[in-house]
Amino acid sequence: MKTHDIEFKLNGEKIKASVKPNRSLLDFLRNEMGIKSPKVGCDRGDCGACTVLMNGKTVRSCLVLAVEADGCEIVTTEGANKNKLTQKLQKKFHEKNAFQCGFCAPGVILSATELLTENPKAGREEIKEAISGNLCRCTGYEPIVDAIEKTAKK
Amino acid sequence: MPITAEFEYEKVKTWRDALALKSAKGSAAKILAGGTDLIVLLRENHSSAQMLIDLKGLPGISGISFKNGVLTIGANVTFSDLIKSQTVKKYFPALWEASQTVASVGVRNRATVAGNICSAVPCADSAGPLLVYDAEINLLSENESRKVPIEKWFTGPKKTAMEPKEILHSIELKYPSSKTACAYLKLSRYEGEDLAQASFTVTLDCDKNYKIAFGSLAPTPRRAYKTEKFLKGKKINEETLNEACKILETEISPISDLRSSKEYRIHMAKVMLKRALEKAVSRYYKGIPHYGEGMIE
Amino acid sequence: MKLKIKYKEEKKTVQHSDFDAVGKNMNRVDGWEKITAAARYTDDLEFGPALLYAAAVESPYAFAKIKKIDISAALKIDGVLKVVTGKDFPHKFGLYMKDRYVFADDTVRFVGEQVAAVVAKTPEAALKGAAAVKVDYQELEPVLDPVKALDKKSPLVHENLKDYPHVPWFFPQAGTNIAHWRKTRKGDWEKGFKQADQILEDTYFVPRYAHCAIEPHSVIGLYDESGRLTMWTSSQSPFTQRNVFVGALEPFGIKHKDIRVISTYIGGGFGGKAGVSMEILGAALAVSFKGRPIKLLWNRAQEFYNTYQRQGVVTKIKMGATKEGKITALEYTLYWDAGAYVEYGANVVNAAGLSASGPYRIDNLKIDSMCIYTNLPPGGPYRGFGYSEFLFGLESHMDRMAEKLKIDPVKFRKINAISEGDTLPYGAHMNPTGIQEAISKVEKEIKWGVKEKSKDKNKEIGKSLVCFWKSPAMPPNASSSAFIKFNEDGSLNILVSGMEIGQGLLTVMAQIASEVLKVPVSKIRVETPDTDRNPYEWQTVGSHVTWGCGNAVKRAALDAREKIFDLVQRVYCIDKSDLYLESESVRCKTKPNFRLKFSDFVINGIQAEDHTFKGGPIMGVGMFMPEFASAIGDPETGQGGHPNVHYTTGAAGLVLEIDKESGKMKIKKAVLAVDCGKAINPDLVKGQIVGGMLQGFATVLYEDMRFDEKGRLINPNFSDYKIPTAKDMPEKVVPIIVETPQPDGPYGARGVGEHTMIPCAPLVANAVYDALKVRIKSMPVTKEKVALALFSK
Repeated sequence: MKTHDIEFKLNGEKIKASVKPNRSLLDFLRNEMGIKSPKVGCDRGDCGACTVLMNGKTVRSCLVLAVEADGCEIVTTEGANKNKLTQKLQKKFHEKNAFQCGFCAPGVILSATELLTENPKAGREEIKEAISGNLCRCTGYEPIVDAIEKTAKK
Repeated sequence: MPITAEFEYEKVKTWRDALALKSAKGSAAKILAGGTDLIVLLRENHSSAQMLIDLKGLPGISGISFKNGVLTIGANVTFSDLIKSQTVKKYFPALWEASQTVASVGVRNRATVAGNICSAVPCADSAGPLLVYDAEINLLSENESRKVPIEKWFTGPKKTAMEPKEILHSIELKYPSSKTACAYLKLSRYEGEDLAQASFTVTLDCDKNYKIAFGSLAPTPRRAYKTEKFLKGKKINEETLNEACKILETEISPISDLRSSKEYRIHMAKVMLKRALEKAVSRYYKGIPHYGEGMIE
Repeated sequence: MKLKIKYKEEKKTVQHSDFDAVGKNMNRVDGWEKITAAARYTDDLEFGPALLYAAAVESPYAFAKIKKIDISAALKIDGVLKVVTGKDFPHKFGLYMKDRYVFADDTVRFVGEQVAAVVAKTPEAALKGAAAVKVDYQELEPVLDPVKALDKKSPLVHENLKDYPHVPWFFPQAGTNIAHWRKTRKGDWEKGFKQADQILEDTYFVPRYAHCAIEPHSVIGLYDESGRLTMWTSSQSPFTQRNVFVGALEPFGIKHKDIRVISTYIGGGFGGKAGVSMEILGAALAVSFKGRPIKLLWNRAQEFYNTYQRQGVVTKIKMGATKEGKITALEYTLYWDAGAYVEYGANVVNAAGLSASGPYRIDNLKIDSMCIYTNLPPGGPYRGFGYSEFLFGLESHMDRMAEKLKIDPVKFRKINAISEGDTLPYGAHMNPTGIQEAISKVEKEIKWGVKEKSKDKNKEIGKSLVCFWKSPAMPPNASSSAFIKFNEDGSLNILVSGMEIGQGLLTVMAQIASEVLKVPVSKIRVETPDTDRNPYEWQTVGSHVTWGCGNAVKRAALDAREKIFDLVQRVYCIDKSDLYLESESVRCKTKPNFRLKFSDFVINGIQAEDHTFKGGPIMGVGMFMPEFASAIGDPETGQGGHPNVHYTTGAAGLVLEIDKESGKMKIKKAVLAVDCGKAINPDLVKGQIVGGMLQGFATVLYEDMRFDEKGRLINPNFSDYKIPTAKDMPEKVVPIIVETPQPDGPYGARGVGEHTMIPCAPLVANAVYDALKVRIKSMPVTKEKVALALFSK
């Protein structure tokens, strides 16, 4: 396999790397960039634990090849921690005790950030739709949806 | 879990390069657009691809255009693009509805309509709308371009009319000449992301021409031509619906699998046909329920 | 020597309030770590370039003899360093019964069982190596049905059952597939049936289920050159893991002090990360490869087929009742499909066998709970520990019996509901319970007796109310302990080994310590354990850590407080009975102006007039063991012991809307009232109710594990094992907290984690019947089953 040189932005920082074609973006971020917020949950796009923002849109990093990140802007929860909207969401998540084990949290936070960026006044059904690809086994989703709803503009 | 399959990757910049490469490699090269199906197959060692040709650098196939009543969907257009398109919502609402039932946002942001019909599983969500809108698929190869009507596209489970040397360029849909209404219904195990246990897409126009397509009820997504023929010119009422259901039953050939038993599929096919038609009729005359409401059965 | 020391004078008058921290809706102490992704899970830890990776070689057969293992091709793969097989680890292990090997010995007993493992420099090489190991098998006829497994002609899954060591409260039947048979007998059930006006007998079926924690199991092991084994595991039970590791590795000279288990945050447990499952491979591989850390991660499919599964069960119930609604007798036989190894699962069977009467006073009782080996993946603990399974049949039966008797099913439950002091199935007496209050509150909340009509002509609305109980299932001497240490600024570290598995343990422990020591929760740090540094905890299972670990923390806090009082008494000559704590300070009832801030002395002591210092770092130690418990009763009746420490009880209700054509169900309202004794943090209790109920509803509406005729799991992924999404939430969940204090609980608390899940299956089955008069006796109650049952009616 030929390796490919890629250049992309990761949480605002310019990254140059050399990757094999069969490296997933998820494995690349976790094992080569030390970025641990995207989690390995199902490796087939079902659970959403590996969610990252790619050019502002949530993607399943397990279903993206690292080589495809070339020229893109990737933001993970580590990077979103500096985003004002994400911070507002996090405050509400904290107030609502929205997460239990916390494993799905990074993915949910990015999905919610994408939603409220595109649709600041999102309603409850839109919120459920937006996070329905992020599986959470602990909370029953209610406190998560409540927190996002509280953050959304009325 | 790492991907252990080994393959080369080419992000082509021109159609000439893309087609030459595809022509040289044939079925050993797989097209990579959204990758939401392909990467899973590679990781689980179900694909023998030796090369991935990434189309995302190619010009002219990342947008949706609507000219002279023809909607053109480029091979890189994602389901999220379709959902955000006011044109699709206004003129091809069944496709707009179906797109919203595809997986979830993070998948729809990558998954393409082209990929959906190239994977060609019997439950492909976009197949029904494309069938009722009589879509045509533009294929390119090194020496020619051709159009394949959607009804000839699906040749078997996970099989299409596309040749190994060809690349899907775009999908065209003609806007119906008269006023129509439509409905898309998907039967799934729950409200969240699921593969359809069955699906129905129906349209009707002012002359009471009905178009009906179903998914997950036969080896490929299909039109229910006999049922359509029976319904042509008829008003939708209990009697015609009951008769239509009887005919529909002869057109479907569902199997039992993990997602549903054959018996439930047959039962629900009839329920869904009725509901889809009633919904389309109500939309035609009353404008309600709005598009996007109640798509999951 | 009399010490005279100045202290700051305070004018504020002393106020005695209720609780400062207990009973308050505090935010989670681990909240920010999780919300900012700072929280580290096992697979997030870094081990540097020396890290090696492992992959398992798995059996494709449910039952087969291993004839030959050829590792030569695997060793030729670039990057592969070693292949380890069963012959390297010939010792059995297990939690309650030693019936497992690290790798299959000469027999594989389920599809996916580990036969060997490959250690390599990269995960890719490990996977390729595993694929290259060639194993010759001789296929045997598998045992896939627990009832057929009882047939005398059935093959035996374990030929040598009679030789397996086990805890004294198990009763394996040598020469059969019955690994344990729990018999509980009380009163005279034959007489009881004679007294009955109505007798109802039927069979119910519950399939297998998967926990589906979003984080898969993971383990890293390092056996260093000095002979010390450090294990990083995603575990609910670091100490129990250490003990089980010793059991398997002792022949290599490895003892408790040589093993250190470190548990990070874990991405969901639900019982699936209790005991030891794949972690044994990590330990064995580390030992076989000295000096290098080795990582083993389970993928999602392995997570489904090679960790513990919730056991399937076929249950036969015979119930008798008088026309006044008094249950006169119950015969309940449970045939558990316990899988290939029952080292943990047999205790699920045991727990159900002790309590399958449900929360009812039944004088004449005969329970047979049989743990039956099959060639399916090992069963084990899953939130509810057998109670969800027996409640499905029992609570379905309760409604059906009430109908036969023409008595309102809620009234029927009220008549029979257990009360404090009642004799339990095994003879001991019931703890205080608020079950009647729970029933009444749920009844009111769902407007029981008021028939609701759907706005949609295609839909009907049904209601149901069921009761539940559950006790922690644990060895009688399962214990908890805690250390508390002060820091210079008066802040605290609490060291426990109860695991934060999402339930909020760390927060609750902080609240308990805060209450005693009057240090705000914001100044308390509690972290996940390391067995070398943190004191002992048996396991975080059975909804018992708020109670057990909470008691230990409270005692540790009291111990620290006592040390503070002793010091202050010694230094200031104030009688310590006059001292109390308030706002991070020591105060005195007789000297309103006395105030000594913790930060002034808890580390550096109190300075005397002669400039010397008295005291030193303040620490507290606490331990807790239920000294009244005993697992030993008569094997034929179960009478005589006190195996269960207490029961948490409650009731749940449902308003369910059902589409008569498609069978689609929508939960309009779900209500659950649980008697938690005292809610240390009501918001976290509510979190358990909302989350647990959805997990419970999922088992009845969507999920089940499907096996083919060869014993292969055919839905080991989230595409076809459907766990609910945000779009599948009930429209409304109403959590109700009942508080009848548990006398031996910290501030009266008892556990609630599992109880929120267990009533859900019969709730749905009974609401479906209420709406449509269709009775589904086999879980899950999917829309497909409902529609087809209606259609064929």
